[in-house]
Amino acid sequence: MGKSMKQHYEAFSVLNNKHVLNIILLAVLALFINTASYAENIPPLTHNLTKLKNPLAAPALKLKNMDDEIVDIKDLKGKVVVINFWATWCPPCRREMSSLERLHLATKDKNVVLLAVNVGEDMDTIFPFLGMIAPSPSFPILFDSDASAMKKWKVRGLPTTYVVSPQGKIVYRAVGGREFDHPSIQEAVIKLTK
Amino acid sequence: MHDFITVLLLGLMLSFSSYAGSAQGIEVDKSTGIVSWKTGAHGVSFSLTQILPEQARAFYVNRGFTLQQSEAFATSCVYMTVMRNDSAPGTIHFKRSNWSVRVNNKAHKLKSVDAWVDSLKQQKVKQSALIAFRWAQFPVEQEYESGGDWNQGMLSLGLPAGSKFDLTVRWDIDGEKYETTLRGVQCAK
Repeated sequence: MGKSMKQHYEAFSVLNNKHVLNIILLAVLALFINTASYAENIPPLTHNLTKLKNPLAAPALKLKNMDDEIVDIKDLKGKVVVINFWATWCPPCRREMSSLERLHLATKDKNVVLLAVNVGEDMDTIFPFLGMIAPSPSFPILFDSDASAMKKWKVRGLPTTYVVSPQGKIVYRAVGGREFDHPSIQEAVIKLTK
Repeated sequence: MHDFITVLLLGLMLSFSSYAGSAQGIEVDKSTGIVSWKTGAHGVSFSLTQILPEQARAFYVNRGFTLQQSEAFATSCVYMTVMRNDSAPGTIHFKRSNWSVRVNNKAHKLKSVDAWVDSLKQQKVKQSALIAFRWAQFPVEQEYESGGDWNQGMLSLGLPAGSKFDLTVRWDIDGEKYETTLRGVQCAK
């Protein structure tokens, strides 16, 4: 290493000090920019849905909501249904929740139903969480207490969201957090209603 | 003065060469000291961020674990793991069982999520807490479409505090294999 250092020293010694300082300044600036790109530690939410090449028939989904009433996806045929699997302890689920409410507000009068399926938690945990979200979710929250619905829907990680067509086929999927109020997502959902 | 400048330049050149070769970056949170390692390859980004034992304990106690039940996992060198298909040329598919870890140039086997769940069941962890544990882990198998599918979850390395390791993450696109390696990752002390 010492020999190598000496060789580098000889190579650089032919440069005048001003030139060397300019190189250092540029190098430091480049290093700063490189480091700055890693400064944001929170993974960004994605802005689009994934269109399935081969739409699949939606599995059964029949769960209780917060009013202890049964919600059955079978009764929603003819509507676009957005189904979001989530939990309060899942950071991207928490981050996307307010954008889900904005999607709900923008589409609820357009034959779109949004269902948020909570995995493994109870009312005592969910209710205070919903109160912290702005705008607070007004769409139905369903309880998948034993994670059996997750298995039926082949969810492998939270959050996962599916968009089901009026014909009962899963046409879009989103693995990981999204900004559901992004125009591209809203347009994709509304387009399915036409 | 010349010596100083030469050393500084060499240091900077080495920094750039390490970024260029593996696209690996390291970030240290100034307030907590928590370190993140990030890499990107073939349109896929991957990162590990240290989860301190006290953070893991707090997370699981809040989910219904007792302190004793949370201890083994909390002290097993845990990372918040993020993987994303930004722009790979197709749907990526991975199984965590295909990933490999090397410690001091020797292969190190990861404890599977199922094995963790089994040991927690033996400790009588309640059902809702087990569900939270299972789904808070980074997926054991997953597919990500290009354009931004991703997950965030916990990954236990099963190593003592302060251990250093290399993690090779593998995935495939229609059977074609790809990989990237994070080198010199360190468990929180």
